[in-house]
Amino acid sequence: MNRVCENCAERPTRAAAECVRPIQSTMSSETAFGEFIRARRLECDLSLRRFAQLVGVSPTYLSQIEQGNLAPPTVERVTQMAVILEEHPDPLIALAGRVPADLPSIIRRRPIEVPELLREVNGLTAGQLRAITAQVRRMKQEGSEQ
Amino acid sequence: MNGAAIIDREDVPRLAKPRIETVAQRLLHEYEQHRGAVAPPIPIDEIVELHLGLTIEFMDMRQLFGAGDVHGALWVRRKRIGVDRSLDPAESPSKTGRYRFTLAHEAGHWRLHRRRFLGRAPDVSAARGFSGPASYLSRSGEARMSIEWQANYFAACLLMPRHLIMAAWEEHFGAPRPVTLNLLRERLPGARTIEAISTYNGDPDRFPDLMFESVSRPLAALFEVSSQAMRIRLEQLGLLLRRR
Repeated sequence: MNRVCENCAERPTRAAAECVRPIQSTMSSETAFGEFIRARRLECDLSLRRFAQLVGVSPTYLSQIEQGNLAPPTVERVTQMAVILEEHPDPLIALAGRVPADLPSIIRRRPIEVPELLREVNGLTAGQLRAITAQVRRMKQEGSEQ
Repeated sequence: MNGAAIIDREDVPRLAKPRIETVAQRLLHEYEQHRGAVAPPIPIDEIVELHLGLTIEFMDMRQLFGAGDVHGALWVRRKRIGVDRSLDPAESPSKTGRYRFTLAHEAGHWRLHRRRFLGRAPDVSAARGFSGPASYLSRSGEARMSIEWQANYFAACLLMPRHLIMAAWEEHFGAPRPVTLNLLRERLPGARTIEAISTYNGDPDRFPDLMFESVSRPLAALFEVSSQAMRIRLEQLGLLLRRR
């Protein structure tokens, strides 16, 4: 099912799964993650048992996650859940209180510059960050054309 | 008991069997209208969660209610069905039938009894955590109490619909005719072994049940119910007869 992203005013026909947007929540990460997973799987017409089968876990384990009784699963498992639920993995990984699997190696590759960059951009608005990302993409493209 | 079922047993409406079967058939029909025709096994997880909007949660019923014989519970206002973790079909595949029957049983309380609960005991299951009282508890060995009997009969009608059982029976046995105990005694391979086992166990009265359950096994597997549940349903439908 290809949901249309309601938050993406610029490209309203874009599929929701392609649109990265934060999942807002004021709850603890266990509760927020569990409740989001439950609501989203029901939207996707997946029963607890069926979704557990697709993810490769037991319904009891998944149910404990949904109830917020257990910490959210590993990044790999969360990513897998995101794919099944047609969500972008990054916001779901953040909701789970975890960090995407590729980031530690990116930081390790440039251990001075990347942390410096991240500290510097901390506090900017989402729009400002998107502008920087666009600028970086242009830099990379120009670099590859030369 | 902490969290005991709160329905007044004497005040249970007496629903006749045909009425309960009609309510179960109507639920199945509604589901089919939204999601297409069903074939066995009846998709009870989807009926409960996607059609009725009741969320399933696995929990430790012994810890919650202080009793070891609770299989399922229904929180009417919260729209939650709790299932004891011992019935997890992925962890205990042999419990799949029991798990499915528990869901269908709680769906029965939802369809047959929830208005009664909502009308008489407002807020009792609302607002508190899951340690709060459940609207209905389903315990093993409680089937004779009429509200539990009604939910069980509803579950049997929902998981083993008359028309699908009749079709499966005919396919399996080649004719829509009932089978008698005497016929099985003569023809069923292994009948003597079953008789010997029930005599050896000092429980010869179990012999008919065991014979019928042996015959029920292929249909039980097809409908994903226990062979005991299938045997009871086939007897209800007059397909297995103890006497000629």
